[in-house]
Amino acid sequence: MSAEPLAARTRARDPLVARRLRRLALHLVLLVVSLAMVVPFVWMILTSVKTEGDLASYPPHLLPQHWRWSNYSTALSYAPFGQYSLNSAVIAVSHTALNLVLASMAGYALARVPFRGRNVLFLAVLATMMIPTYSKIVPQYLIAKGMPFFGGNDYLGRGGHGWLDSWWGLIVPGALTPFAIFLFRQFYLSLPTELEEAARIDGMSEFGIYARVMTPLVKPAIATVALLTFESSWNNFLWPLIVTTSPDKRVLQVGLSSFQQSDQNAWAYLMAGTTMATIPMVVLFLFTQRYFVQGFANAGIK
Amino acid sequence: MPPPSSPLSRRRFLGLGAAAASGAALAACGGPAPGSSTSGGGSASLRMITPIFDRADGQKLLETLLAQFKKANPGVDVQPDYTSYGKLNEKLTTSIVGGQPYDVMLIGVGWIPPFAKKGVLGDLGTPAADLSRTYNPRVVQAGIWEGKTYARPIVLDTRLGIYRKDILSAAGITAPPKDLAELKDMAKQLTVRKGGTLQRAGVDILSNDLRQTFLPIMWAFGGDLFRDGKPAFDSPEAIDALQWMVDIVRTDKIEDYGFSSTSAVAAPLTQGRAAMAIGHNDLWRQFEEAKPELVKDDAVAGFTLAQARPAMFQGGTLATVAARSRYPQQARKLVEFLSSDQVAPQAAQQRGNIPAVLSAANSDYVRSDKLVGFAVQNLDHAFSEGGVPQWLEIRDQFKPALESALLGRTTPAKALQGLAEKAKAIMAKDS
Repeated sequence: MSAEPLAARTRARDPLVARRLRRLALHLVLLVVSLAMVVPFVWMILTSVKTEGDLASYPPHLLPQHWRWSNYSTALSYAPFGQYSLNSAVIAVSHTALNLVLASMAGYALARVPFRGRNVLFLAVLATMMIPTYSKIVPQYLIAKGMPFFGGNDYLGRGGHGWLDSWWGLIVPGALTPFAIFLFRQFYLSLPTELEEAARIDGMSEFGIYARVMTPLVKPAIATVALLTFESSWNNFLWPLIVTTSPDKRVLQVGLSSFQQSDQNAWAYLMAGTTMATIPMVVLFLFTQRYFVQGFANAGIK
Repeated sequence: MPPPSSPLSRRRFLGLGAAAASGAALAACGGPAPGSSTSGGGSASLRMITPIFDRADGQKLLETLLAQFKKANPGVDVQPDYTSYGKLNEKLTTSIVGGQPYDVMLIGVGWIPPFAKKGVLGDLGTPAADLSRTYNPRVVQAGIWEGKTYARPIVLDTRLGIYRKDILSAAGITAPPKDLAELKDMAKQLTVRKGGTLQRAGVDILSNDLRQTFLPIMWAFGGDLFRDGKPAFDSPEAIDALQWMVDIVRTDKIEDYGFSSTSAVAAPLTQGRAAMAIGHNDLWRQFEEAKPELVKDDAVAGFTLAQARPAMFQGGTLATVAARSRYPQQARKLVEFLSSDQVAPQAAQQRGNIPAVLSAANSDYVRSDKLVGFAVQNLDHAFSEGGVPQWLEIRDQFKPALESALLGRTTPAKALQGLAEKAKAIMAKDS
């Protein structure tokens, strides 16, 4: 066998080997990143079934020495989690539904309906994303309290408590987010104009074009906004805590805070409660992950 | 009669609210003392905010107690709003800004001067001397501002010296250190390193909040937080106190920075990785839950931090009445009830804290919790933080200053002098 054909074969194999090495390196990196992402969740679940003795052991054990599943039932007895979960679900579903409807309409208008001041309005929407949540709490509280005709208020918003400690106060302030408007706008912008022109020629109304032609084509945006809104609403803590006073309107995250005390945290119960609170989000993500990833890729957001 | 008007502008409040959000300040508005209102006894619906009783068992206990209160005060309803200490400031700020302050507020030591100065709190009208028959006189002081009583204590918590008898005994030491100098010497002897790596700290000063560790040491050295309303935490005594802490970490290598922290799942003392500690009396609960054998074997006890004088840090939860309450008399009755012999011990036991009332000193609970019992016996040596209306903002400046000294970035003297300058600037801005 001559050296020439061997060299030729080696050269031919080189790209294949290089490609395989690149893939191997890529998978190794992805494996490490995936592990880094999953370790906190695994740690959370393992901590949730540890005893206090296990938690205090040093060096710490990865696996519990005694698996104490009763931490879950004990955690549930710390606060009325059934009521809190229901409240969180009602608020998260309401926020998601309202945000999908309102933000998609706003995004469509900003993307496809020409009107004077459209760009300025869009910039104003973007600007609202820059305001830190904490700085909005007090003004938002005052607006909720001064809502006319609610909670014993007169037409000037005086005399009562407005939306404080009510479902209105829990749902309306978070019902529309500027990020969702931005995301929908980006998606509607990416759709070909021929579609709406064809629909217009066929005599379809503007609302029909929005609802029956364009919106069905932005399913990734719908999934992304739905997931992000649900997640944000489900995890919201500060506003529900501040706007409510009645225990029957408190949400899951407020319940979880009962495991955290200024002196010591009840770590095992906190982790058990957090594991239970995380399950709905994980399930939701499993159902929507394809659209979710597509949504972020299409919107150019990383 | 409409509620008294607020002397504090809304703009001022918003600014304070933003500070509260960063954990640096508080907000308030006010009016005259509740006694000036026309509202007398009779029916009322009181709103109360509480950072204690927040867990389900605590809520159940409070419901039972409030039922007793209602039985004694027919027609008075109480609507408790449960929150944690972590979010108490935001809840209070928004309620006051919104013009609907809670009638009864349970707040921490150190919050009284800021709230009283802003007129948020109403004068309870009980002289300190009268309260001293029910509570330790030093504890009563936390609720006094400019000679008026604005708060009555319910539960207390302390930071004190805690030691493992078994570890000291194994080293041939039979008694806890009598002063801070001896504490350091003992700690050096008890520190264990293997190959340069710290295995056991002679004393753990890092699991507790740094400020709450530094202050009792400073008081023990004879220092004060404020003198004549001016910062005194850069005095020679305070510098000695911080130098003592720096020596523990940097000079004598008794504990490495990062060996433990306030967020540690378990204290090194519990794990046997420390022989002594400056910590919260609540550590007893951790011993009971994680290392019950320590409790069973009587292996843990407290000691007072002493040098120029004995000292112990004392915090707690106090009951106050809003100056703008529509039902001042009923609110005061509720405050008296919550801080009474009947309620305070139960509240303390539910949280593993110290009952403020003297009558509980010999209760079964106090006797069974050795650290609580030790704290109760030594309340005469208790010091509380605060003292000026700007304290909540000033206190947040302590940690970075103390850390910079412990990390060797600056000297204790420079760290504390810089801290005092910041405090003076905060006070000047607010005056």
